[in-house]
Amino acid sequence: MAHLQLDELTKHYKQGKSVIRALDGVTLEIGDGEFVAVVGRSGSGKTTMLDMLGLLLRPTAGRLIMDGTDTGKLGDRDLAHLRGTKVGLVFQEYNLLPALNVLENVMLPLRYVNDGKDGRKRAEDLLERVDLSDRIRHKATELSGGQQQRVAIARSMVNRPSLILLDEPTGAVDTETAQQLVALLKSLNEQDRVTILVVTHDLDVAAEAKRQIRLKDGKVIADDVVTPIAVA
Amino acid sequence: MEILRNISRRKLRSVLTVSGIVIGVLALTTMGAIAENFNALIDGGVKYFSSNVQVGPPDGQTASLLPISKIDEIKKVEGVAAAFPSYTFSAKPGAVSAVSFGFPDLIVAGDPEESNWSNLKTTFAQGHQIEPGSTGQVVLGSTIDKEFKKKIGDTIDLPVRPPDAKPDFVNHTFIVVGILNPTLTAPDTFAYLNTADGQMLLKDSLPSAIRDQIPVSAITESIDVYATPGTSIGELDKIADRINNQVTGVKATKPSVIVNSFKSGGAIFTAITTAAALLALVIGGLSVVNTMFMAVAERVREIGLKKAIGATTRHIMGEFLLEATVIGALGGLIGYGIGALITILVNANTPQGQSTLFLLTLRLTVFALGFAIALGAVAGILPAWRAARLDPVTALRNQ
Repeated sequence: MAHLQLDELTKHYKQGKSVIRALDGVTLEIGDGEFVAVVGRSGSGKTTMLDMLGLLLRPTAGRLIMDGTDTGKLGDRDLAHLRGTKVGLVFQEYNLLPALNVLENVMLPLRYVNDGKDGRKRAEDLLERVDLSDRIRHKATELSGGQQQRVAIARSMVNRPSLILLDEPTGAVDTETAQQLVALLKSLNEQDRVTILVVTHDLDVAAEAKRQIRLKDGKVIADDVVTPIAVA
Repeated sequence: MEILRNISRRKLRSVLTVSGIVIGVLALTTMGAIAENFNALIDGGVKYFSSNVQVGPPDGQTASLLPISKIDEIKKVEGVAAAFPSYTFSAKPGAVSAVSFGFPDLIVAGDPEESNWSNLKTTFAQGHQIEPGSTGQVVLGSTIDKEFKKKIGDTIDLPVRPPDAKPDFVNHTFIVVGILNPTLTAPDTFAYLNTADGQMLLKDSLPSAIRDQIPVSAITESIDVYATPGTSIGELDKIADRINNQVTGVKATKPSVIVNSFKSGGAIFTAITTAAALLALVIGGLSVVNTMFMAVAERVREIGLKKAIGATTRHIMGEFLLEATVIGALGGLIGYGIGALITILVNANTPQGQSTLFLLTLRLTVFALGFAIALGAVAGILPAWRAARLDPVTALRNQ
């Protein structure tokens, strides 16, 4: 069964008298455990697509079905719950809370979606997995960019989501750190069977995905399985 | 914990905001404690005067003198169960009255039996009631006892001789047989004597030219009239009417008139002091509104992130409301603490013989802290609502 089904998914914005077609009738399926890169120029609709898959934006038209649930029929509270339980989000700017330490940042989603008692243990395990178990009491501002992004990835995983969405995750780190982050994402994808969808300008990151979706003017213009040869 | 850290992130701003609440609660605590003290005095008067009918000279008679035989006439009026003569004198004649919230020091003479009829009950810290038919015994209220530092068996000269007393000034020595527990109202500054001693002081107070011509044992200054215990104030009013209709040469005042006069005075005082303090507190509350709006503006991305990881509108609203409430509670606790300290120190340093200025009550404590917390919560509603309604996509990409 497809994990995500986009059916003529559309998002239009009105800007004055003109209409911006940020996403224009996108239809595709993303299966369980896929590692998908969404690429395209600025303004192609990548971020709008990520926001809609993250249930942060409602479509103007079309349907988004997540694990069999038509998300368009859900109210705000149900959408928030689905977002908290099934989706993990990672942003270019990390968005860690400065008032919290590393462990508290990772545990933050548990505050809104209470799914059991082992949340703290899970958070500690995730921090060990991203190689930050020695920094759990540090403030986020005391970490490097790459470390902060690893904390953000751990945070996105703490509720055991089936889908992780990443928006330019390597946009604010150096090349070496970017490679480490990609390796971490691949391990999550392969070991945990988590579906990963990464929006990126970085061709090296896109090359590590198993599938590339290219957008232009809000439409899918290419949807390819990636092979090393194709990247080369 | 996160809330405290958020508050401490902007230390100066938080200190200024909390200070606004501190000043408001401090004002509410001190002004409220003055009002509570005043209300305790008023309550004593209400209790005392709601249990009897005060009978004095008729309108137009200047001297407060009545034939004691009027007591027997009054006792025949329907509904009257007991009537007692009453005499009142200044305990410190010629003393300059300082600004004080208490009653002046008075000598009150009458039948010790009357205390069994009054609604205003007194209890003894030491000693006992004046013995019936005795003379030369005095029971002191708690404040006047502290002023003169007396214990049981000591003597006290009453009225107290003024420093500039004339050669013909007369006073008498009394043995202290009882000391009352504090009542926070009139009895605290009273010295109680028996009827015969009251008549002796009455004689001393008369002009020398007529002093020996008036048989003081047949005279009273006023008469306190009681119905059976539990009689309503409305029924006491009717008894006052019957006394005025059936007994000549006296004027009975309806207790409801005296009680309402006490109550209205207390209500006006409480309203003025409380309103002034609440105004200060509301101004403090506006600083919380301002601070919370700034906090929302600074934390737009944080709000967007929280929504992105599953927070609902209710979660976000709750967090900001809680933060505003914590600011209110912090300000309330600090303001109440300083206010309580001031009232304790000022009361402890009240000059001997003067009533204390403040009365901290549980009711005032709950009101001051509760209002500060509620004010913080209310002040946080609008900023929290604005935070909760932020669009997560816009918020996440806010620069």
